[in-house]
Order: sequence, then structure tokens, then C-alpha cells
Amino acid sequence: MGMKRSAIRVLGVAGGAAVALVAVAVLGLPGLAPAQQPSTPAAGAPLPAGYAGAEACKACHEEVDQKFAATKMGRLFLKHPRNTLERLGCETCHGPGKAHVEAGGGRGVGGMISFAKNDKTPVEKRNAVCLQCHQKSARLFWQGSQHESRDVACTNCHKIMEDASPKFQLAKETVIETCGQCHLQKRAQTMRSSHMPLREGKMTCTDCHNPHGTVTPTLLKENSLNETCYSCHAEKRGPFLWVHPPVQESCANCHDPHGSNHEKMLKLAKPRLCQQCHIESRHPTEPRGRSFDQARFVFGRSCTNCHAVIHGSNHPSGNAFKR
Amino acid sequence: MKATKTARLLVAVLAILGLAAPASAQTQVFGLNVEGDIEAGGRIYGQKPSKSESAKFEEYRDLPELPYLGQFRLRLFTPDESYSSEFEGSKWGQQDQEFSLRTGRLGLWEFGFDWDQTRHIFSTNARMLATESARGVFTLPFPRPAGAAYNTARELDEISTRWDTARILFRLTPTPDLELRAQYTRTHKDGDRPIGVPFGFNVIEVLEPIEQTVHDFRLQAAIAREQWQLQAGYTLSVFQNALSSVTADNPSSVLATDTAFVVTATGGTSTPIAGRLSLPPDNMAHTLSLAGGVNLPWWRTRVTSNLSYSLWLQNDDFLPHTRNPNIAAATPDLTLPQTSLNGNIQIFLLNLNATSRPLPPLTLSAKYRLYDYMDLSDTIVFPGVAETDASLVREVHRAGRWSYIKHNADVDGRWRIVQPVALTLGAGWERWDRSPHREVPVSDEVFGKAALDLTPWDWLLAKLKYMPSFRRINRYDTRAHALHTTTEEDALSPQLQSFQLRKFDEGERDRQRIDLLVQLMPTDTLTATPTVGWRYDDYIRSTLGLQQETSWSAGLDLNWMPVERVAIFGGYMYENILQKQRSRYRPVVTTVTAQCPAPPCTFDFADFDWISVNTDTVDTYHLGVKVSLIPKVLDWSMNGNYSSALGRVETRNPVRPVTGTAAQNTAAIAKRWPAFEDTLVRLETGLKYHFWKNWTAGVAYIFESFEKHDWRTDTLNPFFPAVGLGGIWLGNDLKDYTAHIVGLTLAYRFK
Repeated sequence: MGMKRSAIRVLGVAGGAAVALVAVAVLGLPGLAPAQQPSTPAAGAPLPAGYAGAEACKACHEEVDQKFAATKMGRLFLKHPRNTLERLGCETCHGPGKAHVEAGGGRGVGGMISFAKNDKTPVEKRNAVCLQCHQKSARLFWQGSQHESRDVACTNCHKIMEDASPKFQLAKETVIETCGQCHLQKRAQTMRSSHMPLREGKMTCTDCHNPHGTVTPTLLKENSLNETCYSCHAEKRGPFLWVHPPVQESCANCHDPHGSNHEKMLKLAKPRLCQQCHIESRHPTEPRGRSFDQARFVFGRSCTNCHAVIHGSNHPSGNAFKR
Repeated sequence: MKATKTARLLVAVLAILGLAAPASAQTQVFGLNVEGDIEAGGRIYGQKPSKSESAKFEEYRDLPELPYLGQFRLRLFTPDESYSSEFEGSKWGQQDQEFSLRTGRLGLWEFGFDWDQTRHIFSTNARMLATESARGVFTLPFPRPAGAAYNTARELDEISTRWDTARILFRLTPTPDLELRAQYTRTHKDGDRPIGVPFGFNVIEVLEPIEQTVHDFRLQAAIAREQWQLQAGYTLSVFQNALSSVTADNPSSVLATDTAFVVTATGGTSTPIAGRLSLPPDNMAHTLSLAGGVNLPWWRTRVTSNLSYSLWLQNDDFLPHTRNPNIAAATPDLTLPQTSLNGNIQIFLLNLNATSRPLPPLTLSAKYRLYDYMDLSDTIVFPGVAETDASLVREVHRAGRWSYIKHNADVDGRWRIVQPVALTLGAGWERWDRSPHREVPVSDEVFGKAALDLTPWDWLLAKLKYMPSFRRINRYDTRAHALHTTTEEDALSPQLQSFQLRKFDEGERDRQRIDLLVQLMPTDTLTATPTVGWRYDDYIRSTLGLQQETSWSAGLDLNWMPVERVAIFGGYMYENILQKQRSRYRPVVTTVTAQCPAPPCTFDFADFDWISVNTDTVDTYHLGVKVSLIPKVLDWSMNGNYSSALGRVETRNPVRPVTGTAAQNTAAIAKRWPAFEDTLVRLETGLKYHFWKNWTAGVAYIFESFEKHDWRTDTLNPFFPAVGLGGIWLGNDLKDYTAHIVGLTLAYRFK
């Protein structure tokens, strides 16, 4: 462990230097303040043809405007736009509104995108509006993702015009409620007796998943299922001297991370879970009941009473995960 | 004492806020606008779970009976809102408190700091006779106490682990299309949890000391232009364990020292006075990734790709084979070939995705994923091992490395037949290319995909998906693993895995899966969402092992706002998971008998088969109401949850076991297991009264009840006379509880 500590110290210094560099970059950046950025429009610049301007929208939609102005996006668009797109305010997303204004307003008048449930604008086109600015980082893999390919609109999960949630402008108050609109079964699983602290508010779906598309089939944030689990349970990452191969391949062979009625979020009660793969001779194969002569094998933590380090062992005699 | 301190804190904070923000106009401090809110209150228990019942009640939370500062949020911002700083916290002073600070310049940079405490209580009713003489060292008096003494041992206050997580993040967006992020997260885990230390065939349960720290450092840079995006990232994750082992005294040792080494045919034995078990070693993981996307001019095509390389390292020193000096001294076979693993895993990941729209209604997509997991750690061969500090086994053991490559590819086409109807048809393939030392070196799974999305009217949305898949393998070798990890002669031993076993994660499988989601929105204020899911796995050619798994669920979610002041929501979910597995009791005789003239003998009697049908049924309900009784003055809310799970394990013998000896036949007979049951009921209702301009008073009533039956722990004592000293547990069990709580809160919003 001593050698590791020194390596960690070196990495810590390197990490600190990196942070310091970023800090220096930030401190040096006031000169890059929005007002001086090359892409920033000059205040009072004329609007492109067909656009009415945010003030015109406010004239009729004052209540909506007030709510939007209180959001982070509203503050950015209405008060501190960084480029010509953001300066268009409401029309950045809803499209040019001059025709709508000149026609005297009204639902569906002027061909604007309303983003309402009954909006006839194709989902792809609606989402493209959001992707004008939000294509990078977590949304890089949106196109072709499970949600995109099933016509899920950004506005199914996000409420842009007001802060319905403390963070991320979600459609519901919490992430679980937002995801739970469609993933009813997963939401129900959080109520099971053996669960991660989701219903206690200590975790959310997005701690493990990125609903905007990722490089895994189940929209996990890390590169694989196990790597997602290891981001918190790093003690199970190894490499270990003695490896339990199904553990190394997928934690989900034994666990259901969304919740279970069996201890440790196991998919089945022990010893039956272990007995699905272990048909060696002697004690693994007995059907076993609740009589006390069977106690060591079934009571308490069952097989893991003795095979306690079942996720892997670094002990020279840990080949049976008992050391 | 704690209550007094919290009360003082509350009064002080409220007084400061009252002085700082006396009026409703925008408050200013040093030229900065101020807004925020604070909620404080007290919790009174009508019925509080006793200490021994509180493990499940407070599993991940802290609900002390005292005044508390529930929420506090303070936001300072410049009048033009270009700069802001927000600090918020909740559950102040409690075990599960959390705080967050965000400060930044709008659209340019953001700095954040988060602090979160999460505890996980495992038990509040355990008993332990052993004392922890040093961290992770559990000693018993000598001579060893009689078994009954374990049942009257001191009750442990609490077995729990607390995770303290600190996170610092910095995000810089110098231009809207460029983003730089740096984030460091430190998670420190401190506490204990139950762990068993076995000695041959007896075991004692003690506490695994948890003193672990995970450092996670991430850097990311992303640039996004209209036609292309690129991002690069680096992640460093470091795991540190302050402890390398846990040691426990053997309750069955009769002598004050390890007994003399006795040579046997396979090595030798010595009853140890204590055993030592290794704890997870320090490790480190580096991950570099590069991802990008480009919009091509043809057919509105977009190609995205991701390349990632990870390096996982672990090189902690091994513990000796045994702490039992009599075994260690008996043979040179236990000399370690090297002092550490030189653990090195390298992972290469490639993703390549393309979507294209050659015609307006047609979307084609193709994906390929390669996940190459290379375990390049040393393959160490041990001439012998010391099993549980109790016996020497002179048998070669090779610590095998288990690399694999996983390929995934799929293509699909989505045709929007008419605007409200879209049909997706596709096919895919998954290959596992494992080490030749696994049971199945190569498996190929092909799947089909059909999805129909309907939105015929504004008020109806339906999504149906059907996915059949078929996994086939090149061969199944039950002895491959053993051949690699022990000598060939041993691997051929009939004592190892049954030739008829097919492991479910590798074996052949036919899968059918259907999911249906419907959303009905007959009015703007009513949404009903029924959903059904069904999955059937058939493990074909699995004579022994998991044979079938069927799971299905059906549920309904309702959201209704009959008038603007009333919101009602509720739902029900039914889940059923059925697994059928088959096994065979395979007795072994190690002494010369008429049945076994040349021991050891392993018997494979066909009538010793047993079948277990395992069924979990879960019903989950939720219902909530929010009513504004007097607009902007008085609100009422109610929220209820009910979840009930029934787990049945029904085991039977297809035929009566008769071929073995009387004792063997008895052991082969399937035993009845009582059902596993648990029920959680939670009801919360409250009134909120908004008075003056910014004040809110609240009163809430919370009822919670938990009941469970798990025969493996319901009556678990540390010691059972029938078990003798063969098993000494901590005797912990998650007890049923009922709680009635009344909460009183006072909240103030300032602006």
C-alpha cells in the first residue's frame, strides 16, 4: 500500500497542477466575457427577417415570460445572450414569430413550434431545436439512442418554460418521477425492501444512466455495466488474484440494481441463487431445508457465511473465496 | 445535548434571516440581491421503533426526535444576474446531511462543491462476544466460552457504514460551443459490516472493518460545431483500503495454540486458534476516451464514434497463505511464488454508430460495439494452498486470468408509414469470445426487433416492442475452468461440476420479450399510462442448472387534475418472476465402504435430482393527492405507498431418492421452505399554511410499517445448540417496525 500512496501523491500533484492551470485559465478569462466574445451580437442589432423579438412575445405572454425569465435558460437568453441565436430569445426555440404577431396571435397561428402535447411538429424537428445548443457532452450520442429512436421528445422529460424541479428543468419534481412516467416497473422496484437509496433521495436514476444516449445498450453512464457499479463500489474492481468469472463479466448475473425482495438486491434467495451454477459434489448440491443441521449452509448469509469474499480474493489461498 | 444545539442553531439562523430580510422587497447585501428559503421544524414520535427495530426504519436515513433544520437555501446574485452564488443544505446536523454550493458567471463558468453523507445501517440488534482488540482483529477469551455465552453477549449498538462524499467541480464554457469540465469526488466509507470467517467447516461471524476511500478525478473537454462535435476525457479512479485483513479467533479451538500439524494423504491439518481473511486491495483505474460525431451531407447521415482505453492496476502485497505457523512451517509448498499479483487489466472499447434518413419517412441506423477486456495480470501457480488456516492442500492451483471480447452489432430501419404510425424492424448480434478455459469459449446471440409506435390522436400514444433472441454456443466444457485452475488429473475428478450443468450466463438460450406502453390523455388534465412487459427465457439443452425464467409485469399510472386546485395521482404495478432450476445431490464417500471400495467416490444417482420453482410476486401501489384548500393560503397533500412481496421456493424431487444409502437418500429429499414475505406501508399527509407574506407553517403526519418473514434470519441467534460451535453468528435480523410521526415545520422565504 505504501508504494501506491507515493504514486497517488504524484497523481495528486499532477491533478492539482491541472486544476491550477484551469483556474489560471479562468482568472485570465474575464477578457473573454460575453460582451467581448466575437460571436456576441451587438446590442440593438436588427433582428433577422421574420422575427418579432422577445418584447413582442412578452406583450401577450407576460406570465409565461416571467416564469421563463426566472429559469437559468431564461436569464441567459433574455439578459445575457452569448451569440445571435440566443439573442433571439423566445424565437430561438419557437421559431420566427412575426407572422404570428401580425396575424394577431392565436394557437397554431404563424407556424410556430409550441412544444405542447398536441403540437403537430415532428418530434425530430422539435428535438433538433434543442440540439442546436445541446448537442455536446451528454447529448453527443442522442441520435440513434433508445429514446431518440422511439420518438421521445426532449420536452417529455424537460419543462423549459419554468422551474418545475430544483435542477435540470425536469418535467416533474424529481428525476425518479420524470423517468417513472414511462418506466413504471423500475419506479415500483425502488419500493422493494432491498434497494439502493433512491426513495430516500440519496441517489437518482441519472447517477447510473444517461437518458440522452451513451455507448452502452442500457444507457449507462460508464463504458459497461460493471464499470458503472465500480464507480462507487471500486473495492470490487480488482484486479483480484482469484477471479469469480461471472462477477467479472456482469454484476447483473446475481444482482438487480433497481431493487429486489431478496437481500443485497440479489435476484433470488441464497442458496438457490448459487445452486443455479454450482453442481459440484457434496454440499453445494444438497436441496437443503431449514433444519439446524443445515444451518451453516442456509442460515444468516447462507453460502456467503463461508464464501465471504465472493466478488474476488487477493489472498494466496483465496481460491474458494473463503479468504 | 444534540437537540439543544440544533435548537440554538435554528433560532440563530431564523433571527439573522428575520433581521436581514424584514420586508418583501428585493433584499440586498453588499449590492448583491439575496433570495432563499429556510425550513426548520421538530419531529415528534407517537410510536418510535425501538433501537433493535430501527435498522430497517433508518436504513439509509436519520430521523432523530429533535428540532431540525430541514432545508436552507441562499442565493446571492448581481442585479443583472450575470454572477450568482447559491448555497443550499438539508438535514443539517443529521447523519444524512447534504450541502451544495454553486457559484459562477452565467454562461461562462461554474464552480461547485457538494457534500453528502449517506449511512447504511445493516443491523441494530447484533450480539458479539468477541472483542475488537485492534482494528479488524477479533479475539475470544480462552478457554473458549460455552456456546450459550454467545447469546448473552453484549448487544452491538449499530452495525453500519457511512459514506461521506465530497465533490468539487468546475465547468468553463468560454464560448457556447466549447466546454471544459474538471471534477474531483472523494468518497470515504467508514464503519463495519458483518462478515464470516470460516475454519474448515465451522464459521464465526464478526465485523468487516470498512475504512475505504475512493478518489475519482475527471477531466473533459468538448467542442460542438454545427456539423461536428468532439470530446475527450480522462478519468482516474483510485481505491484505497486502510486495512488489508480481518482476523477472528476460532470458537472451536480447544488449545491455546494452533494444534500440531498432522500429515494426511492430501496435505495435512492443524486446527487454528484464529483465521485471517483478506480485504479488498488498493487499486487504480485510468480511462482515456475520445468521442465524436459528424453530420454528413448525404441522406442526413450522422456518424458517432467513441474510443476508450482503460488501464486497471493492482499490486498490493499478498498476505501469507496462512497465519497458522504450524501449517506454514510444515511445507515449502506455501512459499509465495511472488509477492503481489502485478494486476493489470486493459480494456479497449470502440463504438461506431450511424443513422441516416435517405427518405423523409425512413430512418436507418447501424451500431457496432467492441469491448475487449484483457486481463494481463500475472498467472500465478501455487503448488499448494492453506484452506481456511486449517488444512494444507498439496494440489497445484493456478490463478487463471479470464479475458473476453464482446461484440455487439445491430441494424434497424424505421419507416414512418403515415405521420402517426412508425414501424421499426431490425436485427442484431452479440458475440462473447471468452478465454478457452471458460465453459463456453464462444457464444453467438442473434436477435430480431420489431417496434410499433402509434400516435393516431393527440390523446393516444402506444409503443409496442417485440424482441426474440437466440443464443448458441460452440461447445460446453464443464471441466474447462477446473482444467485451467487445478491439475488435469484433479480436473477429471468426478467431484467437480456435473457434466450435465449448463450455466445460465453462458449456455444456450431462447428469449422472447414484449413490452407495451400506452399513454391515454383524454383531456389536458388526465393521463393514464397502462404498461405490460413479458419476458421468457428458455435455457435449452440445460439438463441441470437454470432451465426457464418467465417474468411479467402489468401496471397502471394515473395523473388527474380535475380542477386547477386539485391534483390526484396513483398507480399499481404487479410483478411476477418465475424461475425453474434443476439440480442433483451428488454425495461423496471418502472412506472405504461397501458402496465405495476405492474412495473418494462421487455418486451421480439420477433419482437424486431435485427441481426448484422459485416465484417472486410483488404488488406495489401508490396514491397521492395535492389540494389547494384556500388558494395561496392553505394546501393539503397526501401520499401513500404500499409494497408487498411474496417469494416462494418450492422444491421437489421428480422421483423419490432410493438409490443411495439411507443417509444419502434422506439428504437428497427436497425440503419445504417457508415463504419469504415483506410488506412496507407508508402514508404521509400534511397541511401547509402560508401566512403573512413569506411564512409557511406545516404539520404532517407520517405512518410507516414494515413486516418481513425470512426464515434464514427471523430466529437467528448467535448460537444454536443443534449447530454447536459450527456456526456462530451475530444474530442480526432486520426487525419489523411501526412508526407514527408528527412533524411541525416553519418555513420562511426571503427575497
